[in-house]
Amino acid sequence: MAPIRDKFTIHSKAVVCQDVELKGDITIGSGTIVHPKATIFAVAGPIVIGSGCIIEESTIIVNRRKEVMRIGDDNLFEIGCRVECPSIGNFNTISARARVHHTVRISSYCVIGAACLVVPTEDEILDEYTVIYGPAAERRIWSGRGKVQEADLRRKHADYLREMLPKFNRLRRGDGT
Amino acid sequence: MDMPIYYTRAEYIETDTGNKVSRRATIAGPQNIILGGKTIISSGAIIRGDLRRTGPGHAVVISLGRYCLIGEGCVMRPPYKTYRGNFNYYPMKIGDHVHVGANTIVEAATIGNHVEIGKNCVIGKFTIIKDCAKIADNTVIPPNTVVPALALFAGSPGKHSVRAVNEDMKVTFAGQYVEDLPESTQEMAEAYTKQYYTRFQPLPNER
Repeated sequence: MAPIRDKFTIHSKAVVCQDVELKGDITIGSGTIVHPKATIFAVAGPIVIGSGCIIEESTIIVNRRKEVMRIGDDNLFEIGCRVECPSIGNFNTISARARVHHTVRISSYCVIGAACLVVPTEDEILDEYTVIYGPAAERRIWSGRGKVQEADLRRKHADYLREMLPKFNRLRRGDGT
Repeated sequence: MDMPIYYTRAEYIETDTGNKVSRRATIAGPQNIILGGKTIISSGAIIRGDLRRTGPGHAVVISLGRYCLIGEGCVMRPPYKTYRGNFNYYPMKIGDHVHVGANTIVEAATIGNHVEIGKNCVIGKFTIIKDCAKIADNTVIPPNTVVPALALFAGSPGKHSVRAVNEDMKVTFAGQYVEDLPESTQEMAEAYTKQYYTRFQPLPNER
């Protein structure tokens, strides 16, 4: 296999801390926040992250497939989660220490609960508003109630971090600048 | 005395109040963190003092009491919410003699004194843990939970006996009340944390 070529494209309005491990071809959209100690590995194919995402500490995002891994806008990856899905829509929450396998594609407005394992053997696409929770990774559909409030919280959270993180952490810039 | 736990002197920084902080721990915003003294922060731990409450003046983000232990790979970060339309992080307060096991994620609002938290736990946002409580290994405490004093919280529903919990430590979820702890818990925790601190010492050939 050809060695991984590092190519980081980080939007000027994104906040990526210095203490982040990046490998491979990675594009980070505007307003996305990457906390220190997060890991993003584009092992085989590139990773494209949209705008307004929050990636917390010790999160691991890996792309082992050849195709492009696309992560949409305003997603929240909480502490210590591990995500390998080839595509993620918008406004999803992956809670602390959840693991999502490369066989799953996440649409939009999904919630993966804390410490849930989502490892189906066959490929599947999670419907919109799916909530996975509990020890046996049970599923149900969210009614969508409180969606506006949730979106508002996410937006304010991102705004806050964009303002505060640069005061205490050194930031990383893309190759272009 | 039990066997000492040795560490290499180069790895830990010792402050004059006896705190031992690993060089391999990630401490963000150290000016907003208060350590009570004789507290150990192990390697790989992440403590987020940078997520502070907005507003003027000095803000304490995380305060730890005396004789605390933050295990390896732990993440301590303050909880956040919007209140009256304003987004904010809120301070996290941890009492004395608190042990937090390895790889645990803590986003609690308050943790009392003499609390023991196991390995691989997830303590949800704004959780309040009262004095002398115990959280078993691999437990997930949902956000906004209140853990009463002298309570043991652990595993999945239907596993009430301690034996079952102990055998089933591998997959325990959605932490809930299991049983009351004996009244001696406070003395036990105090003795244990103090002993742990004395056991935790640099390698003899480096002294």
